[in-house]
Amino acid sequence: MNLSLLFGALVLGLLTGGVYGVMASGLALTFGVMRIINVGHAALVITGAFISYEVFRHLHLDPFAGLVITMPLMFLIGVVLEVLFIRPLKTDREELSVLVTWALALALEGVLGYFFGTDLVQTTVSYGNSTFVVGGVHIADVYIYGFLLAIAAMAALAALLYRTNLGAAIRATMLNRQAAQLIGIDVERVSAISFGIGAALAGVGGTVYGIVNAFNPDSHYDLIGHLLVIVVLGGVGSMRGAFLAALLIICIQDITQVMISPDWADLSFFVVLTIMLVVRPQGFFGVRVREAT
Amino acid sequence: MIGASISQTGDFSSDGNFVKQAYQLWADQVNSQGGLLGRKVEMKFVNDASSTQQVVTNYQTLISSDHVNLVFGPFSSLLTIPSSEIASRYGYAFVEPAGGSQEVFTRGLHNVFEAEPQAGYKDMTVFGHWLLSLPAGQRPKTAAYVSEQDPFIGPEVEALKNVLQAGGVKTVYNQTYPIENPDYSPLALAIANTKADVAALGVNIPDGTAFTRDFIQQDYNPKAIIYANGPDQGTTWISKVGQNNLNGMTAPIAWLPQLNTYGNKQMVAGYLKKYGGNAAGMSGDVAEAYSVGQVIQQAAEAAHSVSNAALIKALHSMTFKTVQGNFAFNKLGEPTGSLFLGQWVNHKWVRVYPPAAAQAKPIYPKPAWGQG
Amino acid sequence: MTGSRPGWAKLRGCVVALAFCLAFPTLFPGSGVLNIALLTLMYVALASSWNILGGFAGYISLGVSAFFGIGAYSMGLILEHLIHMSGGYGPFALVPLAGLIAAVVAIPLGWVALRTRHAVFATATIAIMFVFQLLATNLSGITGGSAGLGYPVPTWTGDFYDKPFYYAMLVVAVVGVIIAWMVRRSGVGLGLLAIRDDEDKAEAIGVPTWSYKLVAFVLSAFVAGMVGAVYGYYTTYIYPQFVIDPLISIGAALMAFLGGSGTLVGPVLGALILEPAQLELGFHVNGQIYLILYGAVFLFVILLMPRGIVPSVGALIDSRRARRRGAPLAAPPPTQQPPTAEAVAR
Repeated sequence: MNLSLLFGALVLGLLTGGVYGVMASGLALTFGVMRIINVGHAALVITGAFISYEVFRHLHLDPFAGLVITMPLMFLIGVVLEVLFIRPLKTDREELSVLVTWALALALEGVLGYFFGTDLVQTTVSYGNSTFVVGGVHIADVYIYGFLLAIAAMAALAALLYRTNLGAAIRATMLNRQAAQLIGIDVERVSAISFGIGAALAGVGGTVYGIVNAFNPDSHYDLIGHLLVIVVLGGVGSMRGAFLAALLIICIQDITQVMISPDWADLSFFVVLTIMLVVRPQGFFGVRVREAT
Repeated sequence: MIGASISQTGDFSSDGNFVKQAYQLWADQVNSQGGLLGRKVEMKFVNDASSTQQVVTNYQTLISSDHVNLVFGPFSSLLTIPSSEIASRYGYAFVEPAGGSQEVFTRGLHNVFEAEPQAGYKDMTVFGHWLLSLPAGQRPKTAAYVSEQDPFIGPEVEALKNVLQAGGVKTVYNQTYPIENPDYSPLALAIANTKADVAALGVNIPDGTAFTRDFIQQDYNPKAIIYANGPDQGTTWISKVGQNNLNGMTAPIAWLPQLNTYGNKQMVAGYLKKYGGNAAGMSGDVAEAYSVGQVIQQAAEAAHSVSNAALIKALHSMTFKTVQGNFAFNKLGEPTGSLFLGQWVNHKWVRVYPPAAAQAKPIYPKPAWGQG
Repeated sequence: MTGSRPGWAKLRGCVVALAFCLAFPTLFPGSGVLNIALLTLMYVALASSWNILGGFAGYISLGVSAFFGIGAYSMGLILEHLIHMSGGYGPFALVPLAGLIAAVVAIPLGWVALRTRHAVFATATIAIMFVFQLLATNLSGITGGSAGLGYPVPTWTGDFYDKPFYYAMLVVAVVGVIIAWMVRRSGVGLGLLAIRDDEDKAEAIGVPTWSYKLVAFVLSAFVAGMVGAVYGYYTTYIYPQFVIDPLISIGAALMAFLGGSGTLVGPVLGALILEPAQLELGFHVNGQIYLILYGAVFLFVILLMPRGIVPSVGALIDSRRARRRGAPLAAPPPTQQPPTAEAVAR
């Protein structure tokens, strides 16, 4: 057993997992507040990747710096989408949301394809190839930056949720939507804002994704399966859970990929999911949800 | 009227686009010279979204509802196989640009022809032959193989592995990965760890670039490296891997913009005029698709007819001159030519093997990343 | 909603529809048209079977494609390794077997997946689908992996070729609709509707929710498996990523919703409208616009007609009837609550 290889895979898994964690936490937030599964979340991630790519290309801003543009823009997109397409869903919200968000994903893919074409692109930053060495293994710098960004985003999210009035309103809505409404919280507004935050987080993830991988409007298909599994694993309403689940599962995937084979790596994802569903269907941090009407 | 199903969206969309451009270019050029046997060519394109469901519907509709006279094939073996069945049912000739997996030819059909010098699944063996032709002291000792699980590319790498293994090169890594795999770093890490002399990558552009960057980061410098696709794709490739890393990269090629093959100058000039860009940036897909048109044209002229039955007969019996060189088809519709090895030498994409057809001497070992 | 008159009218309607379907290939012999008709029938079957769990019980399953794929692969593998038949009418006999295999596989899967509630369940079914796609790709020794799997090819000529497949698909579609009908008439059906209304309450009054959901899941898989088998045979060559494709599940769900999930006619109507439209659209429209339009139609349907065409139109007719009779307008059409068992039994 090649220890340095194992170590390298572990480090890689943690760093990449952090980025997936940010993406997944946006998904978890949306579910927690609105009880909807946004299968279009990956499409939002890719949208974020394209935005940061364009910002990089036309404004020559480093994508990390460009987040000052990408994030608010994604937030806005999220809010608009929520108000236009999700708020009108009055009945059977949970079930219909899957279909609506899928439709949004398709439409987003079409729009992105229309404006950017279907060629694969990548945000190739100049420092993209520089690495640092740890334990005898080379790790690209961008992975570290991405991970630090992920941590910062999660910290900012936690601060928002636990130290602001808005955050309190969000948490209240997550706990019990009707009760929150009764005590005067404008749950519709909170929903829109939460969706926007989710989109912004997707944008953060997308920015890093776009630096490390080549992507095109089609790329969301591959991504959504992973994100959904991560969120289920972590417990659908829990952002903390999503982040940790992402770290765990991406590590397992990377280690399997290196030590066994790439085929079984993908499968390991779903094996872990199955085990989880059998043993603890609510995920790591989820709570057995009483069906809200 | 000629019908063709094009992947305008979905997995094959970027190649599909090149194919459409080439088909249309060919049609325009043929028309400007009096048409096909005096008849004006009209292309009808439909989108198959890279889906086998849609491609079946498309060709059925084109043939039985739109009554097109002829059909051209779509991009990729995946789509070629089901659509060739439909064409066969109606007795239509099916000349296609890129369906090269073994299964395309073993379905018992008589109307399928791949317009490339060599059946796709044998493409990479030329690299193996080159390496084994090096003097014993220089020959590589170990090789790492990694490839997409693609019906076209997977067998290519397999075939290469068989050639090299038979020649005494030890296999130190051999894995395949699902096409949807988004993260190649762990794989690249494992390969770099083996420090193999040769790296054989069964990839397309996205994974090819990912592996390259990871190899650069890992400071892994194989003595020779081959990509199933990538280095031959012009500007798309160069912009992603960087000019300084090009020298030494190889890929199998059938075509180069500067070759003096039949109709090539005309095609390149016409393409640049119609679609812009520069010659070095043109994709090999364009040549493949254009060859389809050339083959049909020559078959029609030889048979003095555009009926499918006559064309099929002609296709089985003639040798054709195309922008990719000259070749004929065997009983199964497999082309009987051979491919060349292309390599970036002094920042030029040239043919380096077999020696008789080479434009430059191949580089070995490959210069370290960033220095070539 | 009384009496046997609506019952007779419906029966007559079904017979007429069936007669039309049987005569269709003779009326419209072009194979392009038959191809579209065949695929439409495929989705009639898929949408109806999806509806058993998705519409009646409200549990959105996106795993339909997995069972579709299992059916297709089962049939292909049996033909390849076990029973060597040449192309022709023979292989059709294997279709029910393929469905059965899919149903059997569905049992343990449903066992695990149904331990979760609505939203998570949808994710679990997505996962099931991806797993099967992976298995189909990776167990390449058996399934041929990404190189795909071939079927024996019938020697029927061009224009005739589609006809037997059309009829086969018609049979499967009819079976699918009948199964859905039988479920809805039965105790299981009422139980499922109760689950949709309020699962906790249903459990409280003694409805064996988990068993009923499992039955629905398995029946759904059975039909999907049969559809997959016929489809695989029709295209003569299958690949993992095309036979186990999320778009198949989504399509079935969308059609059921468009027509009216929870009703019998709904999925049929939805398929009849959407599938030909989708195929024609794909044929004529440029790729990106196609996606945008598809998404837009989707959104339109779900946002403006969440109950689907049949119930919405039904409610409209009802309110018109009430007004014409001069009766005081009843409470506004029940669009705010999920349809109860009686309201759905139209």
